[in-house]
Amino acid sequence: MSDHEAIHNMLPLAAAGALGRAEISRVERHLAACSGCRRELEVLRLYSRGLGELPQPAVPAGLLQRTRARLIQERATAADHRRQGLVLGLLTVFSWSIGGVFWLLVRAVTGGVWEVLGTNLADAATWSLVSALLMWTTAGAAAVMLGKRGEFMRRVL
Amino acid sequence: MILAATVHAESISPADDVIERFRRGDMDALDVILPQYRVRLYRFLLRMVQEPAVAEDLFQQTWVRVIEKISSYNARYRFDSWLFSIARNLAIDHLRRKRGVSMNARDDWGDTPAERIAVSGPDPLEEVLDLERGSILAAALAELPAIHREVLTLRFEEEMKLEQIAEVAGVPLSTVKSRLRRALESLRSRVAAQLL
Repeated sequence: MSDHEAIHNMLPLAAAGALGRAEISRVERHLAACSGCRRELEVLRLYSRGLGELPQPAVPAGLLQRTRARLIQERATAADHRRQGLVLGLLTVFSWSIGGVFWLLVRAVTGGVWEVLGTNLADAATWSLVSALLMWTTAGAAAVMLGKRGEFMRRVL
Repeated sequence: MILAATVHAESISPADDVIERFRRGDMDALDVILPQYRVRLYRFLLRMVQEPAVAEDLFQQTWVRVIEKISSYNARYRFDSWLFSIARNLAIDHLRRKRGVSMNARDDWGDTPAERIAVSGPDPLEEVLDLERGSILAAALAELPAIHREVLTLRFEEEMKLEQIAEVAGVPLSTVKSRLRRALESLRSRVAAQLL
């Protein structure tokens, strides 16, 4: 690539004010001797100036108010999700605790053997399994109910 | 100096303490920050997506994202760059969904430098007269590929430095330079085509 071509390629960046000092000096030296590039730069700078002075779009009235309203709504939704998560977490801890207490009571009352359909429900592993099944079923139902309630509230409000 | 007029003004940014308050969760700081970006952010998004209703929706989505992510904002970077990069990514996602094209896809402009030099452009005086009609330039800008609209808007309307544009677009500085050069030349050829 000739020096002229190289400088010519730099002209858009020169017009955009995007050249370093060394590049500016190089371009200026070339421009002093090349009327074609001088004219080209003149035109490109016209475009640069024009881009900085484009007709400005009208910002919709009430944009900030609608944005604030949406932010408040989004924050409320996020807070709602956090609250639901917290409630579900607390319910999980609570149900495990209740399950543990009941297991101790059952063992104390039955002496550690409570046969149902040939399975010892007072056994720790069996009790945990049954408790987990009951807990997750309850939690799933609660989640569905909370979701439906949220949907209902959104529709009503 | 011939190129002296190329120095540009710095973009106005909210004070650091306001940003810091916002980062720490003070939502009142948003009342200071939001109005400062009302015109700039909306204008940028409108230039990108070219539909006022979509630009407004993306404007709102941008602030929703800002609130979600503000705790992870690194104050070493300019808030402007961070904000505009969020807006830019949302705009790109929208354009991809809408058109199913890559933002980085090249446009149909593929002349070699030598060919471009050989092409004689319109008379400068004629261009001066016509460029005064900003609507012609705006119409030509709207026809450019999104990556070119992006770089031209950020450089000339937002007056961002090239390094900042690189941060916003998430590309190397050399790519920004190359896009800026191609965008200006492409804009010029489109304006010339409109005048013919």
